[in-house]
Amino acid sequence: MNTLTQENNRELTEKVEEKDQKQSIRVYSPNVDVMETEESILFRVEMPGVDQSSVEISIEKDQLILEGKFVPPAEPRGQVRLAEYREGNYFRKFTIGKAIHSDKAIAKMKNGILELTIPKMEPKKTKIEIQK
Amino acid sequence: MLFRILDPQTKANQFWRDFDRLNDELTRSILDSQFGSASNFPPVNVYTKEDEALVTCLLPGMETDQIDINVKDNLLSIHGRKKAEELAEGTEVHRREIFNGEFHRTLELPFRVDQEHVLAKYSNGVLNIHLPRREEDKPKKVSITIG
Repeated sequence: MNTLTQENNRELTEKVEEKDQKQSIRVYSPNVDVMETEESILFRVEMPGVDQSSVEISIEKDQLILEGKFVPPAEPRGQVRLAEYREGNYFRKFTIGKAIHSDKAIAKMKNGILELTIPKMEPKKTKIEIQK
Repeated sequence: MLFRILDPQTKANQFWRDFDRLNDELTRSILDSQFGSASNFPPVNVYTKEDEALVTCLLPGMETDQIDINVKDNLLSIHGRKKAEELAEGTEVHRREIFNGEFHRTLELPFRVDQEHVLAKYSNGVLNIHLPRREEDKPKKVSITIG
């Protein structure tokens, strides 16, 4: 059982997000590597075709949401001969099971891979005295 | 191949030709699902226009010097090695979904390519290869006069 990151309903098949009624954009669940060191938690997310400016990362309490918006090319590319992948948006959601400094997280985007480092928080120990 | 029908006479039949094709694909998909296959990495899309082809390829996390592109006649081959990220000591791995290792893909294009003018671009983890059609392969209009 994975205690650090719990995944919330990963969609194995793509789902289609209705947008502007006519145009539908596919949403994919990107591949992720999750690593943990003594100081931090590291996420590496594959988002090919997504520009740095269209990536959105948010942490709310223990919920981490990773989103990447795909921008379609400006000019037509011709007749499709072979299509092994389809372009679309990326979306993945995790629950982090450890205390973290979400405000000190650092994100980098390089060659279609998003790297997110979130420092861990030392768990505070509060001793409670038992009253007599 | 799952089955083999040893009767060459039936080969001429359309049904057996389709059946063979189905058989081939099924066998391949069963083998792939059992042993895993890197032959579909990276996923590729191919677009063609009258005078050029565009191959787009999802290859996140590469360096340009790790990608090898070769063109010969109408064959395009993409080869490379995706290195695994080095881990610092004491790193605990929770999930590993990103592919790493060697890959090799060869694609057949509908026409022969002008090798000198192939243009490859790598941005945001997508490799785009523009392959212009060879001059002598371009369709030519021949006007026929009826007289």
